[in-house]
Amino acid sequence: MAIKSIVVSVAGASVSLTTAKYAIYLAKVLQAKLTAIYVVNESLLRELLTSRIFVETEARVYERDLQQQGEVFLERIKKLAEAKGVVCETLLLSGSVHDEVVNKTRELGADILVMGELKEVLSRKETFYDEGERIFREAPCPVLVVKNPQAVEKLYKEL
Amino acid sequence: MHIYEFLRKDFCIMDLKSQDKERAIREIILDLPEGDKIIDKQKFIQDILERERRGSTGIGHNVAIPHCSCAGVDGFMIAFARSKTGIDFNSLDGDKVNLIFLMGTNPQELNLYLTLLAKLSKLLIQEPVRKELMAAKDSEDVVEIFKKYET
Repeated sequence: MAIKSIVVSVAGASVSLTTAKYAIYLAKVLQAKLTAIYVVNESLLRELLTSRIFVETEARVYERDLQQQGEVFLERIKKLAEAKGVVCETLLLSGSVHDEVVNKTRELGADILVMGELKEVLSRKETFYDEGERIFREAPCPVLVVKNPQAVEKLYKEL
Repeated sequence: MHIYEFLRKDFCIMDLKSQDKERAIREIILDLPEGDKIIDKQKFIQDILERERRGSTGIGHNVAIPHCSCAGVDGFMIAFARSKTGIDFNSLDGDKVNLIFLMGTNPQELNLYLTLLAKLSKLLIQEPVRKELMAAKDSEDVVEIFKKYET
């Protein structure tokens, strides 16, 4: 099966840059289409509103800030891809992180989903609620989990 | 990501003296180690109090979670404070607050902050967690309680 379409899920942390760099490497080597997805965790904001930790205006401010951070982060990934001659489409989504990533990956007909290293899970309950774990389990295509940032950095630089 | 990974023993105040919300918030922040995690204490106090003016963070069950995103914080921080007599926090249920979790984040760490804020509120809904925190002997106990319930 040829890998023609790659989706990379990023979350705005430095570890996501490593994930993105590996996805760029794969897209270049495999001559595949690359799409980067960032999801504003709207369901988490709703949860904090419902539990009355947040007031309405506060949740709206955080949502706006997260959207801005997402835009900046996706733009950075686009430039990292361009620097290696790879065209990267970027998508800023909003909602439940795992639902949005899984649904968009399916909609795009991606052949592979690239994601960052999963967090250390200390309880069985956590494996059911962690967004990364859920993306990993529910993805409609093979999932590649990026590890070893130093090795990825080297691959990206040598590209 | 776990709360106990971020809850430092030197960020735990076991016997808060203040009787009202504003003084309690000032006492907690001024008591925290200088220059570590909190770059600008006055700015942090101001932002936390500003957030309280928009609505109390006393969520009921004798718990309050004052919080804000503030440039005066380096990364993300969480502090625990306990008042044996209770503080009037203008809480939803009208009860006094004994357990305070004060959280602050630099705007760059929003995702981590929101995740841990949600996690903390879920944990504090559990009565056994609150009871054990009320009975904790010292800061070491507090961290151990979170380890116990988060794993």
